[in-house]
Amino acid sequence: MATRASPEPARRLRGVDFALVLWPSFLAACAASLLFFAAVDPAMLRDAGPHLFAGLDREAGYALGFLFFWAVGALASTVSIYLIRTERSAGRADPPGDA
Amino acid sequence: MSVARLKSVPAPDAGDGAFYAAAEKIYPREISGRFSRLRRAAVIVLLGLFYGVAWLEWDGHQAILFDLPARKFHLFALTLWPQDFLYLALLLIIAALSLFFFTALAGRLWCGYACPQTVWTELFVWIEQWTEGTRSRRMKLDRGPWTAQKVLRKTLKQVLWVALAAWTGFTFVGYFTPIRTLGGGLAHLSLGPWSGFWVVLYGLATYGNAGFLREQVCKYMCPYARFQSAMFDKDTLIISYDPARGEPRGPRRRGTAARAAGLGDCIDCTLCVQVCPTGIDIRKGLQYECIACGACIDACDEVMDKMASPRGLIRYTTEHAVQGAATRLVRPRMLVYGALLTAGAAALVYSLFMRVPLILDVIRDRNSLYREVRGDRIENAYSLKVINLDDRPHSYSLAVSGMRGLELAAPLAPISVPSGSVSNIPARLDVPATDAGGVHSISLTLTALDAPGIRVRETSRFVGPAP
Repeated sequence: MATRASPEPARRLRGVDFALVLWPSFLAACAASLLFFAAVDPAMLRDAGPHLFAGLDREAGYALGFLFFWAVGALASTVSIYLIRTERSAGRADPPGDA
Repeated sequence: MSVARLKSVPAPDAGDGAFYAAAEKIYPREISGRFSRLRRAAVIVLLGLFYGVAWLEWDGHQAILFDLPARKFHLFALTLWPQDFLYLALLLIIAALSLFFFTALAGRLWCGYACPQTVWTELFVWIEQWTEGTRSRRMKLDRGPWTAQKVLRKTLKQVLWVALAAWTGFTFVGYFTPIRTLGGGLAHLSLGPWSGFWVVLYGLATYGNAGFLREQVCKYMCPYARFQSAMFDKDTLIISYDPARGEPRGPRRRGTAARAAGLGDCIDCTLCVQVCPTGIDIRKGLQYECIACGACIDACDEVMDKMASPRGLIRYTTEHAVQGAATRLVRPRMLVYGALLTAGAAALVYSLFMRVPLILDVIRDRNSLYREVRGDRIENAYSLKVINLDDRPHSYSLAVSGMRGLELAAPLAPISVPSGSVSNIPARLDVPATDAGGVHSISLTLTALDAPGIRVRETSRFVGPAP
């Protein structure tokens, strides 16, 4: 629990940060998977793609695709949170320049 | 510990970096009344549909199945393929517009009665009430030591929750892989690794969201909760406490003439706060945490009945009505949302009725413009892509038109395409050299031999020597 006394309260990682990273990226991954797999058949990736995809069945393709989109989204959210949390005036009660 | 925590009220503007006060566990009080009955009915109907429809059969296949492994979607008599993505997009647009329309009309109907978060939370709370008892008993149980009784009740609750969550995950995945196959796999413990993964993931999500996070999903995770107020105006139905009637609030003996004692109708029993699933006090005015479930209305009506005061101290009303003005149902916002919604629905119905389960793509051979062939004729080559979107195989005949003397040289036999498949067919057309000069627009028509209604027409070009 952050308190008024701690010098840089906003920089600490909190439980809610995990939710803020994982949840929006989950929603984005759902949308991305829907659009991507409407156009691309995972079996096509296996047949046409590099060796990386050899032995991939459709179900694995969907799942890995979804997890990939989720990971990319989570990365973006993580960077966003990091930038917000480490901003000079982040989370301070006082206006910037006053501290 | 911050001030926010001590007051046990979430203080979003605490300003000390504690944007999120540690969540206090909320013990929603059991409640009965008009809106509780409505919500219970919604839970039974919606969850009944969810758990039941997955097992419905239609014409030899699962009635609703988004068969991802086979890449086709069964919706009763309709079979859709990835090429039909347009319909899904239209459906999502219609869903979003309906949400806007009904939010502007009646506030957070979706949140209070239909959102999966609300519906499953309700079900999980029922289990909690059944195993751990009423609100006060649950609070006492949580405060008390770990007696055998407590262990038993908590264990029973968890077992039921986990079982329900697992069944939910299983049913959910059953909409994407045939549920009977999935059930067989589960019974023989031979579930595919990915099916197993999804069942566990959705089971965990259900358990976490409905058992543990509950109102925090609405408060911290739901984007709709944050922007729904943009759809609100002063004529939107909201749940509101009537301060003019209720204040000054305070306890009194039954039968006290409130006005004579200088009191309003609110007896400050705090039942409206105790029944609230998000733990807010509706008497502080409209708050974005309010999911408009109506539990506080039921609680307050019951108290007003006991106090022999008229019902409706907390009620569904509009900002205009509270201010004494008339509520307008028809307003520009409603007309715009309504018009867009009607247009979207009409487009979907029309395009579904006009849908021909056949796609023909005609691509002119890029390698040569034309070729002179036997019998003093000029020939053009094309490659045809025929996609059969019907749920049974068809044979198609190809016809060409658009130029004098235009004839099909190949393919001469009907084109057979299995259900849901794509066939690439080379085609050659020719015309007498005397008629071939210049560039001509032609059309190719594909007709199913056994169903003349399945017919598509595509245009292309025929190129001959410069005249």
